[in-house]
Amino acid sequence: MTLTEIGESRVNGYLFVLERSLRSFLPLEVVRDAVREIESHVRERVAAADGAPNEREALERILAELGPPLRVAQAYSAERTVDEAVATGRVVPMLRAVWTLALRTFVGSAIATGLFSAYAAGIGFLVIAALKPIFPNNVGLIGRNGGPWTLGAQFPLPPGATVHGGYWIIPVSIACGVGVLVFAHTTTRQYLTSWGKRRRPEL
Amino acid sequence: MSHETWQEQLRRGSLDLAILLTVSDGPRYGLAIIQHLEAFTDLVVTEGTIYPILGRLTREGLLAAEWVEGEAPHPRKYYSLTRAGIKRLNTMKAEWRAFAEKIERLMTSSERRAS
Repeated sequence: MTLTEIGESRVNGYLFVLERSLRSFLPLEVVRDAVREIESHVRERVAAADGAPNEREALERILAELGPPLRVAQAYSAERTVDEAVATGRVVPMLRAVWTLALRTFVGSAIATGLFSAYAAGIGFLVIAALKPIFPNNVGLIGRNGGPWTLGAQFPLPPGATVHGGYWIIPVSIACGVGVLVFAHTTTRQYLTSWGKRRRPEL
Repeated sequence: MSHETWQEQLRRGSLDLAILLTVSDGPRYGLAIIQHLEAFTDLVVTEGTIYPILGRLTREGLLAAEWVEGEAPHPRKYYSLTRAGIKRLNTMKAEWRAFAEKIERLMTSSERRAS
């Protein structure tokens, strides 16, 4: 099947959307190579098609089998979680990328343990800040029989344990939680960026 | 886990092996790989999603990719197994056979008990 001008426009439109989608998280040279390969696929399919029942339907069938450009781009994204995480800086892609690296190497799993612990600690501080107004007698700096105080919550409070401090624990916990989360997020991004740079020559 | 999720995981888990097997007898370009997979399996749901996997396998050093021009009106990107790819394929084949054999034994035993 030889494409008319309208068919060519449809193919170019598909490739344009794909390229724009890929550009948001892939280096330009990788995008060019990927788009070239997808275009090769489309041209090959078009050349082999008989154009029945008409060009429009035949072409739409080819593009449907290939998949919507956004879905193809997402597939590239899934294969490049680290690149996506670094490019967007969003929490979920970053945690997914850290998890992916953790499964690959021992060092990656050790770093992931540290980062996930930091995220958990940050969330823990915020949980304490949220629980304090609801359970003022169970949340705060808890001391027992003159022993060291620990920050947390206990339900029920053990015999001999007392909750020290007051509601000032709320702003302190919020500050600590936000601080730890920002630190964890920044460190995660730096880690993924350095990992991505080390891998870049392999692309 | 739903049945669909399980099927999807099974499909994804076996795609790498299927792709490496497809290029094990010689270099193939993307569409030829897809057509080969479609002829023997139902692993390809969306054709376009095979290309990112080919890219990853290339980045991992299991496949080598080379653009060939002049063979067709449009350039084709051929993929072939590297030495590391051959080694990985052999390991994956052995592991797959051992795994399939164990599951088969389990199913046979289960069916025997049930009957």
